Amino acid sequence: MKTGTRAKILEIINKRSGVRPSELIQTLELTPQAVHRHLRTLLEEGRLERRGAGPKVLYFVAGKPQLERVQAWFGAKSKPAENPPELICETRDAFAGRLPRLTSTGLGKDEQSLAIAAVGEIGNNSFDHNLGHWKDTPGCWYQTQTTGGRLWICVADRGQGILKSLARVDPGITDDHTALVTAFEKILSGRAPERRGNGLKYVRNIITGKDRRGLACRSGNGLVDYGKLGVECREELARFPESAGTVTLILWSLK
Amino acid sequence: MKILLKKYGQILTSRPAGHEAALAMKTTVKPANDEAIELDFEGVLSVGPSWLDEVLSSLRTEYGTDRVICLPTRNPSVIESLRVIDTQPPHSK
Repeated sequence: MKTGTRAKILEIINKRSGVRPSELIQTLELTPQAVHRHLRTLLEEGRLERRGAGPKVLYFVAGKPQLERVQAWFGAKSKPAENPPELICETRDAFAGRLPRLTSTGLGKDEQSLAIAAVGEIGNNSFDHNLGHWKDTPGCWYQTQTTGGRLWICVADRGQGILKSLARVDPGITDDHTALVTAFEKILSGRAPERRGNGLKYVRNIITGKDRRGLACRSGNGLVDYGKLGVECREELARFPESAGTVTLILWSLK
Repeated sequence: MKILLKKYGQILTSRPAGHEAALAMKTTVKPANDEAIELDFEGVLSVGPSWLDEVLSSLRTEYGTDRVICLPTRNPSVIESLRVIDTQPPHSK
């Protein structure tokens, strides 16, 4: 019975973005004491995380990212209402200036080296392929979250998308999925005749190099994933609305 | 002669940054005839393939492919970068 109630609590919290105890009391028709007892157990088991304090406290499922804000920003039909300066890198320099933050996320030295290089390639791609082609908001959204021993890294842009960029040099690429697979698996530069096009292959090699990593990338209606944990990233990005831009989600286990 | 890459930063990513670094190197690096140019990664945290490709291409065009050498390193981002760069077709002139 208690296990069933805890499973229900986890299910409710998983569906929403942060839940207050009062919402659980109302939804489950339990006493406040019973709800707090279950929450305490789930916290002790490491299945939930508590953020905030006092009446503003919210409970989240440990290990899951909070992507509602970037999802709304990425999928907005017109210029997004919210452009948080702490998460938007309007210029390449602003993005580069935030990369060192990955050194304080719990990654070991070698993993920092690889993660920074991989994320650097993804973020710089946003600028390489979209300068002069932003839909309405220049730059990229760059966010890291550590939860339940896992690091989530999200880079999104409201640019022209990978298909448009690659179809210019290879008109044979006509759909979003093929464009994404080409970008991650073949050497073809969207900025030909400049000799480029190795960055995302590098990212894929790093992600598939160890079981504890994963990545998914969405552009238009295309969605690909790589690495052992890629399917979890894919599940998250599958909830994003279709947009011309590109969003990449990386999951890196810290355990 | 040796180029200490840590002088260009601890985190070396992006083509524009690599391009700038290569230009700066070429103004200060004055190797004797046939002297090798050795890139030393000691003290660098992370190197992306875009940055490294830009630097290697520029130096190799200026001094010749055989004279530009990457010194051995255990930095995994460098090892992976070189793996990807080396599988690309050579630059067209």
